[in-house]
Amino acid sequence: MSQIELSGISKEYAVGDLTIRAVDGVSLSIEKGDFLSIVGHSGSGKTTLLSIIGGIIRPSTGKVLYEGSDICRLDDDRVSEYRNRKIGFMFQFASLLPILTAKENVILPGLFGPAGATARGKAAEEYLSVVGLSDKINSFPSQLSGGQQRRVAIARALINDPEVILADEPTGDLDEDTEAEIMDLFRKLNKERQVTFIFITHNGDLARQAARQLRMHSGRLEEVSRIPA
Amino acid sequence: MADSFTIFSFAARNLRRKPLRTAVLIASIGLLVTALVFVLSFVRRVDSVVKVASDRLGADVIIVPSGSRGAAEDVLLENKVKTFYMDKALVEKIGRINGIDALTYQTYLASIVGQCCDVPETVVVAFNQDTDFIIKPWLGKAFGRRLKKGEALVGNESAMNISVGLTEVDGVLFGNLFKMVGVLEKTGTGLDTAIFIDESNIEDILTKGKTALKSGQVSIIFARVKKGFDPSKVAGDIGDAFVEVNAVARKDIGRNILSTLRDLNRVFFVTVTLAAVLSIFLVWAVFSAIANERSWEIGIMRAIGARESHVSRLFLIEVLFIGAAGSFIGIIAGTAVSVFLGKHFMMLKNVTADLGTGERIIIGLCSLAAGTAICVAGALSPVRRLKKLEPLLAIRKD
Repeated sequence: MSQIELSGISKEYAVGDLTIRAVDGVSLSIEKGDFLSIVGHSGSGKTTLLSIIGGIIRPSTGKVLYEGSDICRLDDDRVSEYRNRKIGFMFQFASLLPILTAKENVILPGLFGPAGATARGKAAEEYLSVVGLSDKINSFPSQLSGGQQRRVAIARALINDPEVILADEPTGDLDEDTEAEIMDLFRKLNKERQVTFIFITHNGDLARQAARQLRMHSGRLEEVSRIPA
Repeated sequence: MADSFTIFSFAARNLRRKPLRTAVLIASIGLLVTALVFVLSFVRRVDSVVKVASDRLGADVIIVPSGSRGAAEDVLLENKVKTFYMDKALVEKIGRINGIDALTYQTYLASIVGQCCDVPETVVVAFNQDTDFIIKPWLGKAFGRRLKKGEALVGNESAMNISVGLTEVDGVLFGNLFKMVGVLEKTGTGLDTAIFIDESNIEDILTKGKTALKSGQVSIIFARVKKGFDPSKVAGDIGDAFVEVNAVARKDIGRNILSTLRDLNRVFFVTVTLAAVLSIFLVWAVFSAIANERSWEIGIMRAIGARESHVSRLFLIEVLFIGAAGSFIGIIAGTAVSVFLGKHFMMLKNVTADLGTGERIIIGLCSLAAGTAICVAGALSPVRRLKKLEPLLAIRKD
């Protein structure tokens, strides 16, 4: 059984009298430990597809099976639990809450999970150390550079030990060195912990680092290349 | 240190991000609760004073001249200075009504500074010591003898004005010199501000001609009914037998004040309700603005696993804090206002009894519940809207 199975996924938005189909009949199987990139022009439906996989929005039609369960049929509590425990989401923009410190931002998903306060605090410090920000735990987002904010967001995505990381242009506005560091971290987590990675990028070089490369065009998905495991 | 980061500290951080806005919200709830506490204290105080005073009068029925019932209640319940008279012969006639056990009477005289008397304006009560059962219970152990001619007792509230208690003083009442020889215990009735003399002084007072009282007049008759007789029925019988008097059973004493109070209650109720609605609108407007400001953050929180209930809980903590803080301030301010400003209201000016601690605690708890509930009611709709936002739309809208 695949870890994630998309079948016949479509998502339509009504804009005035028009209906826009952002995702059009996408079917896809993702195995545990896959390292997968999605490329495509702006507006091609990449972010919408990633959000559907992450349970952030529901598709208009189709099924999203996670280890055999259809997440589209789950109630709000269960789908929130899925987002919290199974998925680590990295957005394409700075997504840290400005009133919280780096450590508190990392702890935040833990507040919605079962871990106790002490365990949450320890885990947050551990992941901030993994992303090289041990000395910035009490800094607010406004005191961090763009790259540092990205790393805090990565630590936040990892805090609940998710099985899948969904990253929307995770290195979009970073310099080459930071980009390389982050991709190294992704590969390490993918290899050592068998975490599935699905990331969106406009960068062809970055996309080619993934074992599976997918392309979206007008809401449709095609597999560009696949390196056998 | 940051390990203690919880949903409570998160809520506290949110409240601190715009301290002025939080302070304004707390202040508005505080003002509303201040008004509520004051109104409840005012109403309860007048209500309880009327009940306590009528209970303590010691008579089952009071009989006053026709048309003087309101004036009598003013004297007995509110310490107002008023006089009214009827023929003393009525005392004996009323005593023959079936069911009457004991009767006594009092004559009220109004002291006017500079014209007849050298004491502050008050009611001087002449009473019959042989038949009295109204004043006697309050004479106390300190004054264990009969009042002599030329002697006076002072009500508990007037004692300080006349300096009685500290020393024996002399005073001129209606052109006659009186020695103030003692202080009555606190009765919680209008009698607390009066001066009491024996009725044997009436002849001397009439001789000096400094009062409107005429010979053979009394102001009020107090009756006790025999066991097994209904005071209301006896009062009705007296009223039927003597058109020149009004007879009122104890439970009906203060009805005029209570009916005025009911009207006041309605005015207060409407005013406080309108203020509460206004506060709900204010909280709603502020939390609508907060919901708009924070929809992006809530979208992020939802995307990383916050349930709708987590969003509700976060805002509920903020709202409850504002409501509770405002209510506490309001309870303190409202109690202070009712204590310090109460004396400026005619209805409370002459009222002697204050609210008990228990009553104040109940008023405080009710006001705390009301202030908090109003806050929650105002925030309900914006929070519901916010928690139902689709995370991706909330994130992208920003």
